Amino acid sequence: MTPSAGESPRAEPGGSPPAVRTRGLFKRFGPQVAVAGVDLMVPRGSFAGLVGPNGAGKTTTLSMITGLLRPDAGSAEVGGADVWRDPVAVKSQVGVLPEGLRLFERLSGRELLSYNGQIRGIPKDEVARRAEELLKVMDLAGAADKLVVDYSTGMRKKIGLAAALLHNPKVLFLDEPFEGVDPVSASTLVEVLRRYTASGSTIIFSSHVMELVERLCDWVSVMNQGHIVAQGPLDEVRGANTLNETILDLVGARGNGEEGLSWLGSSSA
Amino acid sequence: MAWLFVRLKLRLIAGNLRGDAVRRIGFVVTLIAAVVAGFGGLALTSLLRLAPPDVAVQVGMVLFTLLAVVWIVAPLMAFGVDETLDPARLALFPLTPRQMATGMFAASAAGPWPLASILILLGAVMGLARGLTGALIGLVAVVLQVALCMVASRAVTTGLSRLLRSRRGRDLLALGVVVVILVSQLPNLLLSRGYGDDARAFLSGLASVVRWGPPGMAAHAIADGGLVGLAEVAAVAVVVLLLAWVWISTLGRAMVTADSSTQAGSVRRDRLEALLSGGPLGAVAGKQVKYLRREPRGRMGWLAAIGVSAVLIFTATGDAEAVPAVMSALGPVCMGALLIGLQSANLFGGDGGALWMSALAYSSGRDLRTDLAGRQLAVALVGVPILAVLSLAAALVAGEPLAAVPALLTGTGLLLVALGVGAVASVLMPYTFPDRLNAFSSAAPGQGAVAFAGSMVAMIATVALAVPLVLPVFLGLTWVSVLGVAYGFGIALGGRVLAASIGYPRLPEIIAAVSRPA
Repeated sequence: MTPSAGESPRAEPGGSPPAVRTRGLFKRFGPQVAVAGVDLMVPRGSFAGLVGPNGAGKTTTLSMITGLLRPDAGSAEVGGADVWRDPVAVKSQVGVLPEGLRLFERLSGRELLSYNGQIRGIPKDEVARRAEELLKVMDLAGAADKLVVDYSTGMRKKIGLAAALLHNPKVLFLDEPFEGVDPVSASTLVEVLRRYTASGSTIIFSSHVMELVERLCDWVSVMNQGHIVAQGPLDEVRGANTLNETILDLVGARGNGEEGLSWLGSSSA
Repeated sequence: MAWLFVRLKLRLIAGNLRGDAVRRIGFVVTLIAAVVAGFGGLALTSLLRLAPPDVAVQVGMVLFTLLAVVWIVAPLMAFGVDETLDPARLALFPLTPRQMATGMFAASAAGPWPLASILILLGAVMGLARGLTGALIGLVAVVLQVALCMVASRAVTTGLSRLLRSRRGRDLLALGVVVVILVSQLPNLLLSRGYGDDARAFLSGLASVVRWGPPGMAAHAIADGGLVGLAEVAAVAVVVLLLAWVWISTLGRAMVTADSSTQAGSVRRDRLEALLSGGPLGAVAGKQVKYLRREPRGRMGWLAAIGVSAVLIFTATGDAEAVPAVMSALGPVCMGALLIGLQSANLFGGDGGALWMSALAYSSGRDLRTDLAGRQLAVALVGVPILAVLSLAAALVAGEPLAAVPALLTGTGLLLVALGVGAVASVLMPYTFPDRLNAFSSAAPGQGAVAFAGSMVAMIATVALAVPLVLPVFLGLTWVSVLGVAYGFGIALGGRVLAASIGYPRLPEIIAAVSRPA
């Protein structure tokens, strides 16, 4: 096991490889093609948003890049190392907050962090020190000795993020980190994430809250129906419009809320 | 109102069956079981006519009481709060407690089991009643008995509904299931130990206990058929009304009381943590020991293993002169070791959807091997002391304290063999444990076959690999048990090396298999 706090063993040539790059990533579930050849590129040090409507393939793509789901075809690289061929180089560098957030329910928050650090080979005392700081920053110190099964959604997201950060990864993958999180917890999460990218680390997060993506991200990748339909620095992708309008144009959906529902609202009898 | 609730219940049953073959089969099996129980019960209880009157009454009283107990306990065991029974689901509708009680009463009367109960009770009327008045009183008694069963069952579920909805309450009830199953073995045990040589005396003893309970009175009233019978029926009616009043008032309170499931206690920081060294091995072992203690499924399995061996200790030594002490001590301990060990046949299922967290950290087969070693260590840390206690108890009951030593050594060897086999089974045939415990399914929908195959293969392989270890000891070569532990260590090591080399490339598939929605 590689001590995760250490430097990357890989020498970086002049044009250092992007934080994440996939080529032709493809996944099919039965008859349904979930991801149909995704070429995702995220430069180092960016705060990247992966956006798109429900069912666009965001979660599937992130699962394949993090090595939790085997792609049918294509390749994924993190920091220049292939996820599936060179797991030793990749796994110590990535932190993940997956969708659904299934955690070890019968451990307390503190035990969960401690377990996470120790299976990665970080010395016990160091794990305890980092866990204590993370619990404090995430405002979980009071609930640290409660079982995760009794945590609320927001608390689960925060303990999940703490677990993902514990080994100081270079690249952080977050799947819908703000969904179901109250505004106070959300601003805590944002603050921690901003501080993390400021140091040169990379975040890729999926979301369908466009305002949030516009506020946080400097890079966006837009997915629709298993493809990347636009990708680049935020300002280039959205141009003069808001991100929300850009995406509605790209995805080709315009609201049809005008027809029907004429009875809805208090003006009708 | 009542009719509306009955329709709701039928609609829920129908909706539950839609598009799921397994559930449909399950429902058909339930229906068949109810029909068999109903008509079989009817036939058997009507046969009471042929028994001597005093025996018939005693059987009737015990039977009525048993039925009431089953009605009260069964919904709790099945975690039971189906939607028509959970007052919280109905709290937002504009209903008075009285309307709700009527509705829920009607809903719970609709279904195969209430009808089966009525059939059994009608059979008892045929079997017990002597003469016309007895039959007439009997019909009233049957109606009252059914009402008693339903009202008592509803009152208990409503009273406990807060508890049933909280995580802690369900954890406790899971243990209750094992206790109920073990307690149901008690009469069996008593009879086999010779306390019930005289079955008649046993029966009348039991009957005298339940004589003045409401179900006992209802049964007695049928057989009596006179003024005493009428008085008893009246008494049962009063009890039913009283229970109904209690139920309606708890219902009123249950509708406006908040869910307590979010108020949770803290866990103690662990002393064990200090004993286990840091690093991956200690972390995994520590996590597993905590899971064994905190997760209801784990506790159930261990309690069942201990319970079964305890029952065996007493039954196996029933006729002590026939069997040598070493063997009668060895049998229960090996059984306990096997039952504990077989729980490790789906190691990753216990982690469930959380397995990704470990998988994300493991970057070689070596890491997975360490993980498996940690899990084996955890089971051994808890299992070997339990086996030691069982061995000592079995040896003492068999009257040969020294027999504890070979029994413990052999049991430990067997446990280690089971752990080695379990590691391989865990990577080859992983499946999801369902979130909610129930007695009939141990796997997520659609994975029943994998679960069954997994535990069968693991059991057969364990037994086959354990033969060279257990058989010589059984045949009297007790010194072989010394080699048994070493043999077990070998199998456990081989098992986890093999499992890690098969399992590491399969990790994404294993995660998918243990994370199914259930």
